[in-house]
Amino acid sequence: MTVIRALTGACAAALASLCAFVAPAEAQTYPTRSITMIVPFAAGGPTDVISRIVTAHMAQTLGQSIIIENVVGAGGTTATTRAARAANDGYTLITGHMGTHAASVPLYPKLAYHPEKDFEPIALLAGTPILILARKDFPPKDLKEFVTYVKANVEKVNAAHAGVGSVSHVSCELLHSILGIKPVGVPFNGTGPAMNALVAGQVDYMCDQIVNAVPQINAGTIKAYAIATPERNPSLPNVPTTAEAGLPAFQAQAWNAIFAPKGTSPAIIASLNAAAIKALDDETVKKRLLELGSVIPGAKDRTPEALATLVKNEIAKWTPVLKPAT
Amino acid sequence: MDIFANLAHGFAVAFSPINLLMCLIGALVGTLVGVLPGIGTIATVAMLLPITFGLPPVGALIMLAGIYYGAQYGGSTTSILVNIPGEATSVVTAIDGHQMAKQGRAGPALAIAAIGSFFAGCVATVLIAVLGAPLTKLALAFGPAEYFSLMVLGLIFAVVLAKGSVLKAIAMIVFGLLLSMVGSDIETGASRMAFNIPELADGLGFATVAMGVFGFAEIIRNLDAGAEMNRDLVQQKITGLMPTRKDLADSTPPILRGTVLGSILGILPGGGAVIASFAAYTLEKKLAKNPSRFGRGAIEGVAGPESANNAAAQTSFIPLLTLGIPPNAVMALMVGAMTIHGIVPGPQVMQKQPDLVWGMIASMWIGNLMLIIINLPLVGIWVRLLRVPYRLMFPSIVIFCAIGIYSVNNAPVDVILAGVFGLVGYWLIKHDFEPAPLLLGMVLGPLMEENLRRALLISRGDWSVFLTRPLSAVLLAIAAGLLILTVLPVLRAKRDEVFTESEN
Amino acid sequence: MADTMGHSATATRNTRLALGFCLLAIAPQIFELIWSIGTIFGWGAGRGPATVVTNHATALVVGAPATLIGSVGGGTKKASSEVLLALIYSYPLFVVAILTLFMTIRSAQDYVGGVVLMAVALFALWAGSDLQGMRGFSFGAGTAPRMFGGLLVALSAGIALSGLLTEGAALSHYSWRGPLFVMAAILFFALAIRPLGLVVTAFASFMIAALGSHETRWLEAVIVGACLTLGCAILFPYVLGLPMPMYPRFLIQ
Repeated sequence: MTVIRALTGACAAALASLCAFVAPAEAQTYPTRSITMIVPFAAGGPTDVISRIVTAHMAQTLGQSIIIENVVGAGGTTATTRAARAANDGYTLITGHMGTHAASVPLYPKLAYHPEKDFEPIALLAGTPILILARKDFPPKDLKEFVTYVKANVEKVNAAHAGVGSVSHVSCELLHSILGIKPVGVPFNGTGPAMNALVAGQVDYMCDQIVNAVPQINAGTIKAYAIATPERNPSLPNVPTTAEAGLPAFQAQAWNAIFAPKGTSPAIIASLNAAAIKALDDETVKKRLLELGSVIPGAKDRTPEALATLVKNEIAKWTPVLKPAT
Repeated sequence: MDIFANLAHGFAVAFSPINLLMCLIGALVGTLVGVLPGIGTIATVAMLLPITFGLPPVGALIMLAGIYYGAQYGGSTTSILVNIPGEATSVVTAIDGHQMAKQGRAGPALAIAAIGSFFAGCVATVLIAVLGAPLTKLALAFGPAEYFSLMVLGLIFAVVLAKGSVLKAIAMIVFGLLLSMVGSDIETGASRMAFNIPELADGLGFATVAMGVFGFAEIIRNLDAGAEMNRDLVQQKITGLMPTRKDLADSTPPILRGTVLGSILGILPGGGAVIASFAAYTLEKKLAKNPSRFGRGAIEGVAGPESANNAAAQTSFIPLLTLGIPPNAVMALMVGAMTIHGIVPGPQVMQKQPDLVWGMIASMWIGNLMLIIINLPLVGIWVRLLRVPYRLMFPSIVIFCAIGIYSVNNAPVDVILAGVFGLVGYWLIKHDFEPAPLLLGMVLGPLMEENLRRALLISRGDWSVFLTRPLSAVLLAIAAGLLILTVLPVLRAKRDEVFTESEN
Repeated sequence: MADTMGHSATATRNTRLALGFCLLAIAPQIFELIWSIGTIFGWGAGRGPATVVTNHATALVVGAPATLIGSVGGGTKKASSEVLLALIYSYPLFVVAILTLFMTIRSAQDYVGGVVLMAVALFALWAGSDLQGMRGFSFGAGTAPRMFGGLLVALSAGIALSGLLTEGAALSHYSWRGPLFVMAAILFFALAIRPLGLVVTAFASFMIAALGSHETRWLEAVIVGACLTLGCAILFPYVLGLPMPMYPRFLIQ
């Protein structure tokens, strides 16, 4: 019995100490211990790969390791909620994303955080362009024909996407709202199965990030109509931009950026932003990001203020597109 | 001729010292991951991804692949020893494997699982090399309608594997299907039965429910008064470590059949590997002269499914290697690893990266050899572990399971949920419900619903697609036939029962 | 077993079962009440206990019958979630409880198993009642849950019925010590892993779980627990590289 009493005593003491932590960190010596970077998607995905490439260099600059923690679920909002509630001492950061910090606002009415109110923007890292893809025997030959065909056959065509809230879903919704149509969207569980269905010809078209699509396009198993960025991409020099192909309104990029919980001190944000910029200027980092087909932001887009504006604009851009969809 | 040249090239790559070492590390880590309850392959591969940054790409992928199929080897260990399936594919192994352990035959069960896995792995590797490209067509031929029919067939397998009442087994499957509905809806994103709990937003994890209804429930049941005697008996009964000649003779045909089934079903992305192990079990039970032995420690019930799941683990690489499309979450991580190294797998990966593809295929054979060399001597150690007094075993299992479940998502709520499912599982045992059909329903439920809805979306609501598409119709016909075969004897038995009762 | 019991014994058994089912019928309401007590201390957001009691009581006593009569009369007013809970979940179970009083139960194991499973299915039907149904040719979010929920109600009714028609096992004995301490260990682990870290949590949970068996010898348990903790502390973070807090948070900072 004494053992039990001792045990319960120990447990009680331990639980009491649970509430007694919280110690503010000093910004001057920041960082004094390792930093946790939450990535709201599975390891190996585009956001994860970009985060890992950039943070590996940032860790060298900051002199402390950065541990990547992949927290998956609910289109990345689980992780973002956790990050919003984390201590604002600069030791918990998150790689935010077009989905988590913009499209989520109209998609999830009960969202437990707000991208602008609960986060301090730090730096934009890289974006992955979005392509309009179709099965290889889909009749239209170019984007113009595609637009006419889809509008004419809106009852017959099937658009694939990788699940509600995924990049492929929201970008296709944007395309559809520009075209003023509402075709049937066939949901898949991730980009892999969606791509499989497209290669097999079970669905007609989809919008997806460049990373997965390049080898399939080069092998001729699927075809690409256009890339939704202002410039052509070096990994797909033959694919025209949407502006060139006649649909300039369709501009979409899955951007990734670092955020900290609201109230993180400006000094910490400044040092993190400097480290991120330094990483983006590094030649090896640049080379690896370009290999992925990413677009690296120019000098004026790298400040925290520019990121804040981007978030604001993106929320404004996605809200009318996604609001009626849900 | 070409294949031999390619394979020779592959072996040259795989036999380089660094790649051999990577293969060994992968096999060892995989075994460890498989043995530890709850620790999933996905979590481990995800955690080990950053380490592979510094390695050459071929070595990195050989290691990751080793973890994947190594875990399939190791997964059977906890199923047999303590009735905790670590992966969905080893749920069926627990049914007869653990019964064998209770009869003191854990050694032969573990050994036959290793031998079956080795044989299946070798055959499947050859199959990848020889028929990889043509088999890809199968993966592409399966559209939503075919998958739905396959899932229906899978659920019928779950009915067959039940040893008790068919009605209860069906109820458990439907219960599993209901549990699988928790979380966000794939088509609309609406939150279903999640009660605003963020951890439920993506549904109940397989590990959470499996650890609960198998792991924790088994522990609680063993702590019941009166259970001690049975446990002591088990410890005295432990006999030989290796299978007898009769065991081997009994297991050979199941291993062969399991290998064939697993190799074919493994190619199908999404659920193929899980269905493979259930299909193998069902096949063995249907072919057996005395099906009542199943669920009571039949060695065929271990040999068949274990061969099938390992064959499937190997052939599931086919879509990745030939199409560049990852068929499951672990493979998606491997694609991530390749992307980090600047290789984006696609349909041309075989031509563009012969080192990678053939090196990996060759390494799988070497890995399988390593796994059996690692695993057979381990059998002795595992069996000795059963001699550890239960009063020390059970708190250890609780801790291992808790850490394992926590590690999947770093979510404490998952651990609590597993505890709740432990109580549910305890209740199920007390009311003679079997947990295996429940788990199968849970695993197949989302796949079934998604594909049904996809098929109906594409066909614009026309239900006849399931019958007009030939592959789908064949699968449904098999399902219907199997259901009749299962239900008829039960009905007949019920009638006989009623007669005998009325005579009394 | 069942047939050795006298007639009066069966009768008391049935009364107890019926009472048990009645309790089951209002279990979600009771659960929410217990949960709501936390709001007094400011834990979590939600309604206070007083609101919960009045809302559910009015729903059970007044709201649900009113809706029932209203729907017969043709009114299609949207019912509140409490009323729906009473209608979909509680009332059917009350009916079952009343019926139980008049039944001869041949296999309590099957009968109780079926009824409880039916309760689960009814609860799922309620939980999915706010979801959208079929939309034209495509399934809504709620179609499949309702389909399977309904199917499970039918199947569990079949199981309960077989418990009435065929002889079978009686209720088996439940022990409390094992479940209690194993659950306590799991709960402690879940609550403590983040603030206290793996080392403290694993050892403490081991000891709590060990309380679940009367065979436990304490010295032995402490030694094994310590070794196991050490092993886990090396194995999980270092060998497998799983990110896990190791030591209590207040010690690190």
